[in-house]
Amino acid sequence: MSEQVPPVEQPSPGEGPPSPAARLSSLQRAGGIVPPILTVIVAFFVGGLVVLATGHNPLTTYREIFAGTGLNWFFQVGSHEIGVPYSDATVWFPWNVNDIESVAAFNLQQTLLLWIPLVFTGLAVAFAFRCGMFNIGGLGQYIVGAMVAVWVGSSWVDMQPGLHVILAITLAALAGALWAGIAGFLKATVGAHEVITTIMLNWIAYWIGNFAFGQGGPLQNKVNESVPVSSDVAPGARLPVFWGDPLLQGLHIGFLLAIAALVVYWITLTRTTLGYEVRAVGFNPEAARYGGISVAKSYFLAMAIAGLFAGMGGALDILGWQFRLGQIDIQNLTLPFIGIAVALLGRNTAVGVALSALLFSALLNGTSTRNLDPEVFQPELAGNLTLMIQALVLLFIGADLLILGLWARAKRAGSRRPRVPTAEAPT
Amino acid sequence: MAEAAPTVLELKGITKEFPGILANDHIDFDLGRGEVHALLGENGAGKSTLMNILYGLYSPDEGEILVKGERVHFSGPGDAIDHGIGMVHQHFMLVPVMSVAENIVLATEPRRGGVLLDYDAADRRVRDLADAFRFKIDPKARIENISVGQQQRVEILKALYRGADVLILDEPTAVLTPQEALELFGILRSLTREGMSVIFITHKLNEVLEIADRITVLRRGKKIETVPKEGSTEEQLARLMVGREVLLRVEKKAPEPGETLLTVDQVSVEDDRGLPAVRDVSFEVRAGEIVGLAGVDGNGQSELIDAITGLRSMHAGRVTVGGKDVENTSARKVLDAGLGHIPEDRHRRGLVLDFSLAENIALHDYKEEPDSRFGWLFPKRLIVRARRLLKAFDVRGGGPTTLASALSGGNQQKVVVAREVERDPRVLLAAQPTRGLDVGAVEFVHRRLIEEREEGRAILLVSLELEEVLSLSDRILAMFEGEIVGEYTPDVTPEELGVAMTGGAREQVVA
Amino acid sequence: MIAWADRRGGVVDKLYRPRSIAIAAMAISALGFFIVLPPITQRSPLWPVALGLIGTLCGIAAVTRGVRRLGWLAVALGIVSMGLGVLATESSVGHLNNVVVWSALFASMLRYATPLTWAAIGGMFSERSGVVNIALEGMMLAGAFFGILGAQKSGSWAIGLLAAMGAGAGLALIHAFFSINLRADQIVSGTAINFLALGVTGYFFVDVYGALGTPSDIPRIPNVDLPLDRWQFIDGVFGNLNLMIWLSFALLIVSHIVMFKTPIGLRIRAVGEHPRAADTVGINVYLVRYACVIVSGMLAALGGAYLSFGFGGAFNEGMTAGKGFIALAALIFGAWRPFGAFSACLLFGFSYALAYRLPEYSGSAATLFLALPYVLTLIAVAGVIGRSIPPAAVGRPYRKQ
Repeated sequence: MSEQVPPVEQPSPGEGPPSPAARLSSLQRAGGIVPPILTVIVAFFVGGLVVLATGHNPLTTYREIFAGTGLNWFFQVGSHEIGVPYSDATVWFPWNVNDIESVAAFNLQQTLLLWIPLVFTGLAVAFAFRCGMFNIGGLGQYIVGAMVAVWVGSSWVDMQPGLHVILAITLAALAGALWAGIAGFLKATVGAHEVITTIMLNWIAYWIGNFAFGQGGPLQNKVNESVPVSSDVAPGARLPVFWGDPLLQGLHIGFLLAIAALVVYWITLTRTTLGYEVRAVGFNPEAARYGGISVAKSYFLAMAIAGLFAGMGGALDILGWQFRLGQIDIQNLTLPFIGIAVALLGRNTAVGVALSALLFSALLNGTSTRNLDPEVFQPELAGNLTLMIQALVLLFIGADLLILGLWARAKRAGSRRPRVPTAEAPT
Repeated sequence: MAEAAPTVLELKGITKEFPGILANDHIDFDLGRGEVHALLGENGAGKSTLMNILYGLYSPDEGEILVKGERVHFSGPGDAIDHGIGMVHQHFMLVPVMSVAENIVLATEPRRGGVLLDYDAADRRVRDLADAFRFKIDPKARIENISVGQQQRVEILKALYRGADVLILDEPTAVLTPQEALELFGILRSLTREGMSVIFITHKLNEVLEIADRITVLRRGKKIETVPKEGSTEEQLARLMVGREVLLRVEKKAPEPGETLLTVDQVSVEDDRGLPAVRDVSFEVRAGEIVGLAGVDGNGQSELIDAITGLRSMHAGRVTVGGKDVENTSARKVLDAGLGHIPEDRHRRGLVLDFSLAENIALHDYKEEPDSRFGWLFPKRLIVRARRLLKAFDVRGGGPTTLASALSGGNQQKVVVAREVERDPRVLLAAQPTRGLDVGAVEFVHRRLIEEREEGRAILLVSLELEEVLSLSDRILAMFEGEIVGEYTPDVTPEELGVAMTGGAREQVVA
Repeated sequence: MIAWADRRGGVVDKLYRPRSIAIAAMAISALGFFIVLPPITQRSPLWPVALGLIGTLCGIAAVTRGVRRLGWLAVALGIVSMGLGVLATESSVGHLNNVVVWSALFASMLRYATPLTWAAIGGMFSERSGVVNIALEGMMLAGAFFGILGAQKSGSWAIGLLAAMGAGAGLALIHAFFSINLRADQIVSGTAINFLALGVTGYFFVDVYGALGTPSDIPRIPNVDLPLDRWQFIDGVFGNLNLMIWLSFALLIVSHIVMFKTPIGLRIRAVGEHPRAADTVGINVYLVRYACVIVSGMLAALGGAYLSFGFGGAFNEGMTAGKGFIALAALIFGAWRPFGAFSACLLFGFSYALAYRLPEYSGSAATLFLALPYVLTLIAVAGVIGRSIPPAAVGRPYRKQ
């Protein structure tokens, strides 16, 4: 899949399939937010058919799932005075943030806990995509980040708390960047296709993780040697909880970091020369090269930054609520893969990633064992339903690329400036 | 010849409309046995569309195809092949990693035991066929290892193997050296002697008069006329092709060359396959003059441009821009040394089509103030500058935030020119600056290049259009097979220059 | 690439070729490691070091003479066998005897390699025709579940295999439709199929079998008992292999012949290298691609079926656990050729076999062996050991004119 141009016929460079980023961008303009929403509706509809086919009621199932997401918390609009942190002042707010214990509030906290890593892994896919690369290595980058976070977090227990957290997050993010950077480096230097290399890096990280926390592994806890789990993260390296009960997995300040990451993502792409370079390379690497941009450097940096996001996502999960990492956790990890769906559904924009991450985190939480009443729908089934809906979303995103493409072409054809169809029809 | 020959093929009233353009408008065409019938027209005149219809790749909206008097309908190339029609595409339809024989027998393979592919029989048949037409070709050679001329012969053999008696050749000489083209003409003559008929698509007048028996001229999707070769002249055909007398005269003052700004000293460059493409080329361009580099496509011009602009590493030699050594540095270094570059292909290289015009105009400067500072980009400033430039260069069809892809070719090229000139480069390299532009845009670009010359820039104009080189340049270099084979003043006749570009002048230079 | 090298030439010529040097180098290194293991159990570290060193040097010699892939492999093998050889001489003979039972190791290598082989060869068909198939994992999983479902419901393992093929073909059909007709991104489509398989199999597994899992009386794909008692070692390896293993050998030969010796294979390769060239001589590109993707789905599913009711006797959610991706790695490492892919599968299967025997020694460190396939493939695509070049048109949707 590397670019090997046969000397006999170059698949007409001008007309050939443009980079994924270029294709996506033109489609994005064509359809706005309608296609992603349609995609989601169709995916849920097909999922509902499966539920129906196996003898359950899709409507009550979906309603029950929704109740578990905690999003109904937003329906409880009222008038509340909310204290401003670190001051005595209060402000008016339509939702009761002081409520940390109601079922809805608790569920929402759990949904948002999942939202955080989905945003980060979504951004990891999206950023690379903007540079014309498909990063499906979110899993490996997340694992590496989580491993470094748990290692730093459980070592040096005497370190000053704030510093400890910052150090753990920073090193984890750098580790993720380094891991993804391998793929970026190989793409930049020898043109190795990033899809292949990131898949390989995923599984290398997976087995390194299994080794590290397994019996006799370097990161296994020293207390109980039969359990393949790390030591716990020191209290000083844990992220403070700002909404909810710290003992019951309240929402930690990683939530704010995720919002910050979305803003940074947007600013980097639109307001920095680095973002300019990344986008230029993503749209047209040859023109970027002509413009004096180092394409190789952009590939490497874009991949490294993507890994930075994913590694940070892994770190926040560890330092925010998991506090330890084991073989089982690594083996059951599918969350970073959902980042692919998050990014594609969100059209690789900051707002889109935020919204589609919310959709998937709500779905994940709503179908969790804890939330679903087995009388209505078995939670074990529901978890798989989530996977199916996610798969359908991905499939239909691919399809709506086409539908939109046709639509865009029809629109262009009708406009004032027809493109002369060359005899060499597009490949 | 033609009048006596029975008609083997007839197209009647062929019409094909693509969204927004009438590519073929009621075209009639016929082909006699043993005839070479040329289809002549500019790019976009509808030649290739017509032939793709004949080959079953497109289906016509209207009209009918008759093969040997029988009305046929083609739903794919397979049908055309069955009716004895073979096509040699401009971009060869050959699988590079497969052998000559494998490519030729593909889809009609000889079998052994009903299941296995009989490679021996395939090699033997290909060798027999090649011998019959006196082609020198090794059936076992891999396509990627043989020359372009040989690849073309494989394509012809492929058609013959399938029993073609009508051969369509789409711009067959575009990729050939003059020597190879001559050989091709020899092959075509021997084929027609055997009773084959040939449709020869081209936009080159001299070839038409060399090889064709009859000539049909297309213009903007319409058939203009069919004329016999006898009595036709280049001037007459050109008039039919373009529709009016071609008169390309640009008003300009006598040059006042100043200091030397671009020197190219004994530069050698290799192409993508590692073969020498530019050999030991030396020249210089001085302030206030336009030096034209004339040559047939594929004689090393693209590699030379890439090497000068830092987009390709050179094998040997030196390049200085404004006195600074820039060979084998980077595109960025060459830009900074003061070189502006209007690239050959504005879609592939000159523009990021998905960027706005403002972003495109910043392509070289985005890292410098005022566009950015410490890595921080100021989109508003890009827009302000773009607005000014778009106005100055009379770019129509969009503002600074319009995407480049939404503009017409001429306006896109104006954006490129604006960007390159705006940086006040000391050397301006214009590679095929008017390719694919309409007349108005061509005039604009030409006027602009003259103005930039008056500004005291050193301009290197690389073009495949002889007219363009002759009318704009103050000095002309002819390039052939990677070498500079002659230097001329603008009063050289097109014939003399044409001879040089095709290798005829080589001995004179040596002598 | 090397396999494309000229095959003709005398035997004497062959011996002096760098390719032969590389192979000899590997043999020497392997010998160095072999003699410190049971049954020979030579106890001096000098032997493995000396032989490994010779192997490494010969490997370097081969590399400098242009045989990059095999040469580097020989160098790597030399270094590894030096290290492992020394380690082996350090450890107790009892331990060694436990871990290294050659016949058992080889038999288990074959068992681990077989599902990979089915899937990798399936992948070869798809990718040779120009359609990237990273959905092998999902297709295997579907085969594993629906195969065992079919076998259990019908009481016949043969019906189970048919059901597996049907499930694999079904998923492949979706992949084909989206990536051929709709021209969707083949990577996205493949990723989606993987999730779909995970979701669908998990859903129906829970729905049909509930918490208890698959019953224990599944009709298993039978083993083939061969009367090989006379040769102890051969018997240990081949005496009692599963039918699917033998079928995979047949598949290997058949697919090599189909791909490189028949008109069908020529057409498939033409479609994967240059679809328009194939189209212009009248080959139906879409049809070829559809057929190849569906065959790929069926073969991958059979690999999965072997996992669930050939090798084991039960289905677990997500039981393929990355085997589809190892198959993909083997396909790439084997340069999209059946025997190349099969060799890679054997190598990867061996690393599995070792990984499951070594814990005796090292705790979880043995799991690192499971990362080996991916590391090797990463190195292979990086081009350090001679680049793996895919079919030219792979991943590019084809648009008819």
